[in-house]
Amino acid sequence: MSTELLGIAAIFGATVLLAIPLGRYLATVYRGDRSWSDFLAPLENGLYRLSGINPAREMSWQQHLQTLLTINVLWFVWAMFVFCFQGSLPLNPDGNPSMSADQAFNTAISFLVNCNLQHYSGETGLTYLSQLVGIMFLQFVTAATGMAACVVVFNALRDRSADKLGNFYVYFVRSITRVLLPLSLVLGLLLVFQGTPMTFAGKQALITLQGDTTAVSRGPAAAMIAIKQLGTNGGGFFGVNSAHPLENPTCLTNMAENLSITLIPMALALALGFYLRRPKLGYMVFGVMTASYLLLQVPTVYLEMHGNPALATLGVDQTLGALEGKEMRLGSAASALWAIQTTVTSNGSVNAMHDSLTPLSGMNAMLGMMTNAFYGGVGVGLLNFFVFIIVAVFISGLMVGRTPELLGKKIEAREMKIATIVALLQPLMILGGTALAAHLYVSNPTEYASWLANPGYHGFSEMLYEYTSAAANNGSGFEGLGDNTPWWNISTGLVLLLSRYLPIIGPVAIAGLLAGKKYIPESAGTLRVDTATFGLMVFFVIWIIAALAFFPALALGPLAEHFSIGY
Amino acid sequence: MSNSLFQPALVSEAVKQAFVKLDPRVMVRNPVMFTVELGTVVMLLVTLGLLVRPDPTQGSFGYNFAVFLVLLLTLLFANFAEAIAEARGKAQAESLRKTREETPARVVDERGTENMVSSSQLRKGQFFLVEAGEIIPTDGEIVEGLATIDESAITGESAPVIREAGGDKSSVTGGTKVLSDRIKVVVTTEPGESFLDKMIALVEGASRQKTPNEIALTILLAGFTLVFIIVCLTLQPFAAYANTPIAVASFIALFVCLIPTTIGGLLSAIGIAGMDRALRANVITKSGKAVETAGDIDVLLLDKTGTITIGNRKATHFWPAPGVAV
Repeated sequence: MSTELLGIAAIFGATVLLAIPLGRYLATVYRGDRSWSDFLAPLENGLYRLSGINPAREMSWQQHLQTLLTINVLWFVWAMFVFCFQGSLPLNPDGNPSMSADQAFNTAISFLVNCNLQHYSGETGLTYLSQLVGIMFLQFVTAATGMAACVVVFNALRDRSADKLGNFYVYFVRSITRVLLPLSLVLGLLLVFQGTPMTFAGKQALITLQGDTTAVSRGPAAAMIAIKQLGTNGGGFFGVNSAHPLENPTCLTNMAENLSITLIPMALALALGFYLRRPKLGYMVFGVMTASYLLLQVPTVYLEMHGNPALATLGVDQTLGALEGKEMRLGSAASALWAIQTTVTSNGSVNAMHDSLTPLSGMNAMLGMMTNAFYGGVGVGLLNFFVFIIVAVFISGLMVGRTPELLGKKIEAREMKIATIVALLQPLMILGGTALAAHLYVSNPTEYASWLANPGYHGFSEMLYEYTSAAANNGSGFEGLGDNTPWWNISTGLVLLLSRYLPIIGPVAIAGLLAGKKYIPESAGTLRVDTATFGLMVFFVIWIIAALAFFPALALGPLAEHFSIGY
Repeated sequence: MSNSLFQPALVSEAVKQAFVKLDPRVMVRNPVMFTVELGTVVMLLVTLGLLVRPDPTQGSFGYNFAVFLVLLLTLLFANFAEAIAEARGKAQAESLRKTREETPARVVDERGTENMVSSSQLRKGQFFLVEAGEIIPTDGEIVEGLATIDESAITGESAPVIREAGGDKSSVTGGTKVLSDRIKVVVTTEPGESFLDKMIALVEGASRQKTPNEIALTILLAGFTLVFIIVCLTLQPFAAYANTPIAVASFIALFVCLIPTTIGGLLSAIGIAGMDRALRANVITKSGKAVETAGDIDVLLLDKTGTITIGNRKATHFWPAPGVAV
């Protein structure tokens, strides 16, 4: 086996090995049991006292959602303020200007929904203050929001009837103090040791090999890159993200950053089982996610390592794989691994340009985002998966002729209505958005010519990818698309908002409704959800829905391109 | 009662109903099939349009007409399945009533002459005789004699009860069986009002309410149908972008193939079939909801053993003692 393959196998293996103990730890923390991190309790209590929060007050699911949405609005206002006035605020050694209102709006929304779509370049578009108290702040709190919402669902699935599902602030604060901060500290330190800058000094003047003088941007980067990776955020400190030599300096940082993408999403899937004291349930969810993820990952690695036949016919050597748009120092296998991991998890950070992936790799990246539940974003990925579990439980329940039950709670019309709306959202946003864009382009190709540098199948893929990325709150893009126009800013902005909050509200509401129902003890006739059989059922539900909804669009984009370039 | 699914009388009624149920007002209750009906109408219009003005981009008349026919047949089959299931339920009640009417009654007039009539002809105030082994034809009150009666069919009580003239234990119910002795009974109900008649009415009136699971399933199916409407509608601009116009017939064919037509079409038939099957096991279900609830039962608690026994002792197996030949 080649070193490249060994390298990526090691990354994946290490992530799984770390995710299991982390999953146990998460369950302990959220249950409120004793753990090594209890020394942070005084800090947390201080925060509660400072903000006038009573951590012992339990909330209903409606109160949870109310709290979640309220603090999100406050963060939006805060972010708008920082971006609009950054030019006159401190910590601006390079003298970067304030953002225009529309760009500030776009950036604030994009980071608020954990998407991190960037219509600016970090080096020139932001100040160090904005990077820290705007961007990095949102990267911590939005990740913690997803995790807290996910824990509400955990709590609701316990085997009892209850209206009260714990305190949102407690879940939220613990997600930050006990999970995100310690992990970010470790990763950040590693990055600093490997050469990522962590300074408040401005640009550094360097004399290049040619003897010219050049100014290199730097800043408090290591701290932000850590949470960017761990919180499935993806918005980089520098413009080209983790393909930048200071953002991702060495092979070791590439491995560590890549590992951090999937670590918490994997651990949360396992934590579900540990939290409910049904470890098999966690392994079932993790197994389905992993099988689906590998189904996308393995062909992608193969395709990227085998190069592009259209280039091969031109006499370009393809023995190192399809290297167009990739970092030579990272190689095609490591780029392929990152490309799929960043798309299945709604992270969106990149270490290679996705626009240059071979067509089917691009399709796999899109499929990961279309489903958005193979690990998925921190917390929210599991919430998406929960909706698929509901649908699968319902279908299997009817197949055996019993009222469907999930962990002792009956699933009835109201829950199905919510699950259906959430399941509908993804195809509606992705296909609807792309259809409108395609229609506009076809009706007036000259006016919209600036959108597509490559008309034809690849241009279609670019538009499809943009809406898929927005609907998955991913933030990566096929950058060949000329997307800094009012149409793209506004339409993807709307998609971002809807696709962030509905998939949080829906599953929390379902879980809340289920929690309030009478608990039916298990019997011989109960459908057991922690079995391989049920796992298979969920697997097929996810893939059949994805295939039926997205195959026609994919056939006209990546598949058509694949067959047209000589495979 | 014949168990054949396709009795000529039932089939001809069901075929008629299959067309009657094409009424959109009826169809709209089943969103999946309603969209198929809309597709059928669109196909009909396209086909007729092609007759007036041929259009090569839409394919030939024959092709479009064939698509239309297949869609129409799909609809008719779904309606037919539902109609035949409904008709069977009705036929079952009909046959119950017939059995009841055919139970003979031995009427005695004031002079003591006995007369065999059908039980449905018994009027209030008439007298009849019943002997051991016979079925009591209708509800009444014992005026003469004493008998042990097996009432398990009605009350579920397995042990025979003793009924006698005078006192408060003198009433008998139609459909129960006299096990010993002979009694004279006065009829206390008019035809069609007896306990058995009411039960038959229950079977007939077993109304088609949607069950909770059916409602939830309808929501899910409607959701999927919406997804596929989105898929098919968005395909048009996609195809236009790729310069591959797609004919209307292909859109509708793709749509109907994608949506859960089978389950949507047969859903109501399944519910009725469930009730019908329960009836064949002599269980009367008032609604599909009851059948569904029965599926969820893990433990059944009964206050009377008679409810689930046949009401009498019966040998199911003989075990010869050693050395004894059977």
